[in-house]
Amino acid sequence: MGAIRNGLVAVNDFFSTRVGRIAFFFVLALITLFLPVMFQAAGNVFMVRIFALVGIYVLLALGLNIVVGYAGLLNLGYIAFYAVGAYAGMNLGFLMQELLKGLGFLGERPENWSYWVLLPFAAVPGVLAGIMIGAPVLRLRGDYLAIVTLGFGEIVRIAVTNDIFGISNGASGLPGVGQTVAPVAGQMWVRENLSFGNFLFSKDLYWYFIIVALVLFAILVITRLDNSRLGRAWVAMREDEVAASSVGVNILTTKLWAFALGAAWGGIAGHTYAYWVGFISPESFNFMESVLVVCMVVLGGMGSIPGTILGAVLITAVPEVIRALAASPLLSGVLTPEQASLVGDYRFLIFGGLMVVMMALRPQGILPSKRRARELQPVDDTILAQENQQLWEAEHKHDSDSDII
Amino acid sequence: MSVAKSKRLFAVIAMLVVLAMTVTACGGNGDADGGDGDTADLVEVKIGVSSPFTGDVAALGTGIRNGAQLAIEEAAPELEEMGIKLSMLAVDDAADPKTGVNAANQMVSDSAVVGIVAHLNSGVSIPTSAVYNEAGVVQVSPASTNPALTLQGFENVFRVCTIDTVQGSFAAEYAYDELGFTSVAVIDDSTPYGEGLAAEFAAAFEAKGGTVTSKDKVQVKDQDFTALVTKIRADSPDLIYFGGMYTEAALVSKQSKEAGFEGPTMGGDGLYTQQFVDIAGAANAEGDFSTSIGLPLVEQPKGQEFTDMFEATFPGQTIEAYDTYAYDATMVVVEAIKAVAADLGVEEVTSAAGKQAIIEAVAATNMQGVTGIVSFDENGDTTNKAVTPYVVRDGAWVPYTN
Amino acid sequence: MSAELGIIAQQFVNGITLGGMYALLALGYTLVYGILLMINFAHAEMFMFGAYVGLFTLQGLSRIAFFTSSGPALLLLYVLTFLIAMIATGILGVVIERFAYRPLRHAPRLAPLISAIGVSLFLQNAALLWISSRSLPFPVLFEVRTFRIGGASISSMQILIIVTTIVLMLVLDSFVSRTRLGKSMRATSQDRDTAGLMGIDINRVIALTFFIGPALGAAAGIFSGMYYGNIKYNMGFIPGIKAFTAAVVGGIGNLRGAMLGGFLIGLLESLAAAYISTGYKDVIAFVVLIIVLIFKPGGLLGESVAEKV
Repeated sequence: MGAIRNGLVAVNDFFSTRVGRIAFFFVLALITLFLPVMFQAAGNVFMVRIFALVGIYVLLALGLNIVVGYAGLLNLGYIAFYAVGAYAGMNLGFLMQELLKGLGFLGERPENWSYWVLLPFAAVPGVLAGIMIGAPVLRLRGDYLAIVTLGFGEIVRIAVTNDIFGISNGASGLPGVGQTVAPVAGQMWVRENLSFGNFLFSKDLYWYFIIVALVLFAILVITRLDNSRLGRAWVAMREDEVAASSVGVNILTTKLWAFALGAAWGGIAGHTYAYWVGFISPESFNFMESVLVVCMVVLGGMGSIPGTILGAVLITAVPEVIRALAASPLLSGVLTPEQASLVGDYRFLIFGGLMVVMMALRPQGILPSKRRARELQPVDDTILAQENQQLWEAEHKHDSDSDII
Repeated sequence: MSVAKSKRLFAVIAMLVVLAMTVTACGGNGDADGGDGDTADLVEVKIGVSSPFTGDVAALGTGIRNGAQLAIEEAAPELEEMGIKLSMLAVDDAADPKTGVNAANQMVSDSAVVGIVAHLNSGVSIPTSAVYNEAGVVQVSPASTNPALTLQGFENVFRVCTIDTVQGSFAAEYAYDELGFTSVAVIDDSTPYGEGLAAEFAAAFEAKGGTVTSKDKVQVKDQDFTALVTKIRADSPDLIYFGGMYTEAALVSKQSKEAGFEGPTMGGDGLYTQQFVDIAGAANAEGDFSTSIGLPLVEQPKGQEFTDMFEATFPGQTIEAYDTYAYDATMVVVEAIKAVAADLGVEEVTSAAGKQAIIEAVAATNMQGVTGIVSFDENGDTTNKAVTPYVVRDGAWVPYTN
Repeated sequence: MSAELGIIAQQFVNGITLGGMYALLALGYTLVYGILLMINFAHAEMFMFGAYVGLFTLQGLSRIAFFTSSGPALLLLYVLTFLIAMIATGILGVVIERFAYRPLRHAPRLAPLISAIGVSLFLQNAALLWISSRSLPFPVLFEVRTFRIGGASISSMQILIIVTTIVLMLVLDSFVSRTRLGKSMRATSQDRDTAGLMGIDINRVIALTFFIGPALGAAAGIFSGMYYGNIKYNMGFIPGIKAFTAAVVGGIGNLRGAMLGGFLIGLLESLAAAYISTGYKDVIAFVVLIIVLIFKPGGLLGESVAEKV
């Protein structure tokens, strides 16, 4: 255990040096760009898919990181924005295809342009949902907000399960009978023109690169946000709402921005997932998914972009890798197929145990945010209690008549 | 920064890369050198089996794995003589579409996998069928009954179980004509299977002239249906029809009787397991109906043989609803492998052409299975459209006779 | 008209039985929250664990002929089953606190939440892999009678659940408000450090909290098993979410609030399922939660305390 802890500290220190950063990014770029291509060349589409899936979760975790890591608002229903993005994307896509068909624009082999045309607007449904849920409840603090967002997540899932407004086809999911999602534009082109020999430029690989581009874009935007006036307002608000509001931060608007901008990435991720897999159903948007995304952010390190990414990679990939390892020839000499399948069944047990151990070793996350660490943190609970008391008094100056029983 | 630290970092990264490489190695080459010397001259061929081994319906999912395992163990010696080492690659889909698609990709990534026996849930089978189609591997589902599965235009998708439209309308006609029920309260569990079956039943029942007094949706994992059954009791229909799986159905049966509702509960093949009676309690389940696809096991020529084999291999376990279907689905793939190996040679079985030939061989299947004669229509649905009504008598499901 | 009234009365009985189980479970959430300000996500697994221990104890003890020989012996059997399951689950709670949460006491607020989710995943899968993936039938060894009053009926099982729940709550309430240990619990929840300075053994109080909460959860789990006739490894998940909601509706950290919230959510769920829509019953519960919190941000009986994530 001590060795692991030292190792992690060493990794963290190393990243902060110049050489370390260059080496790190070089290796990272290598892994990100070439490893999936190698997997594809080896015919292992499973790993390509896992890479792309990890990418989707990185996008989600980055979005949630704005809400949880920067603004300090615990959101347990984040997956609702992902669902809204996915269902909106699919339905608008169907409308668009209908329209194009009506106008006679579809040729013999219809390519699906809906994904690309709608992508710039993919954040809109998420943002709208974020504002809708955020506006009335952002006055709530901490865990009260958490349970309301949990409720919102469940409301969205149950609504799509019950085929709300007739747009979600209930439990059967989209596309329903009679609807089709044609291959997205570009997919066939790369398949025909960039494949050679045994190497097939597959659908999953195509989507993987789209997702990587989106993740890079998200990192760029979020880094800019972090350093902006708004980003500093979030930090100020997270550390002390009263102080922040006294220096001119509008708490409600600042929270709403965090909610809306976080939800935007949920919407984009949902839109992308829907067109990549070509099938969505309510089971993909359950409460456990929201919880896992929160885990990614906290395990990786709240408020830290590399941390969040690492958290997403670990949480998405670890159970799948355990399973794949169990079935790989590496262990097939040792395990019978039944035992291998059993090891696969144990993946969540191992994973749950790992989460506990990780938190005990690094409660602030694996790669915590530098800025957050620098800030004055009430390491002492007495100070925290004092602060809470002061906050409480400050709050109750205005409404002295309420809440006291 | 010390040199020692950077060394550690690279050690960590190197470890990750090695890990990733080993995972790569698991797929790709069918000529994997995992075998010992004595099997080196055999061609390694796998049948992928995927269903939920964890989660709510793990009982049915592991049953599918059991059925497939029986078929593979039975066929392995014969195939070994032909020069093929047949084995099973069992992957959990957790009854979840996302995990299911991962599982599907994992299976098709292994080029030795020439056929897939999967999945239990229609909600998983539909998105994964696209993966199998792209990989050109045959999929035979033992249990996914939603009609949409085979209507996607994929030539590699088959199923050995009857579709919901057949089962739902059969149940409705039987309930109205033979059992004499004229009004029904319909409940479904908000899954593609339950929703489809309940809708089919309600439509057919109304077409017959019966009354549907209420339609309600519940959620899987819900336990408390007392409010719902109290409401249903007030409408006093003759029958409750539940589209869904046994756990929720059993609770509806139990709670409706405890609330003083007199009529029986009826459902589809998802109820046809001893678990239903165990959960509802024998007294409550007495007189409940279900329909299951195919003829009863005891009436099948190979039924007893299967039961004996099952009890020998899995002592202490019970045969679940889809075990026999999984066995037949696996046998369909095995027969196709034999045919292709004989036609094109054993070396060709795992090639793209071989897999295509297997799809064609499956389409042409006509064999005596445990569940009856197995053959497929142009969509890939089974032509075996027999549905048998069952009733709970003395705490066990028995075929219903007037 | 009277038939209609009877059905409404019936729905109340259904709702209160359900609410009693939520309330028992909600107490565990609220106790831990009151003292450690953490959402003990693994509490739902206490419900499940308690039910399994209860089932195995019941199966084991009922093999002894004495326990099924007479009415009082049967009563003793059930009392023993509850005691053993509650103590075992209480001990599990203390162990979890010791190893998973105590190291994180000075960590950022969300770290224990993640640890709790890890514990929850671990326990759920442990039950799945080591006990059974199937529902296990939960036997009822006594005859369940149904009493009809007007159009409504209430079974002896429902009466048992409601009465025992209320008794357990009264005991807990007087324990916390009357006894010395209860006082130290309240003191710790108000100000942990000052309480420590006043000579209260904080670790002991926290351990006690993690004993009482899971023990009550175990009782709720056994009730659930008896009432629904089966138990399963993931049976805690949905009641867990509902009970947590109930604790928040009542005012998290407030014991009476949790009881009120539990009964309220149970009733609401029954009435919504009966008169609005079964598909949307949970939506209605959550909408009520949101409305309550908008108008009373601290919950029905709670105080509004400022805190940070």
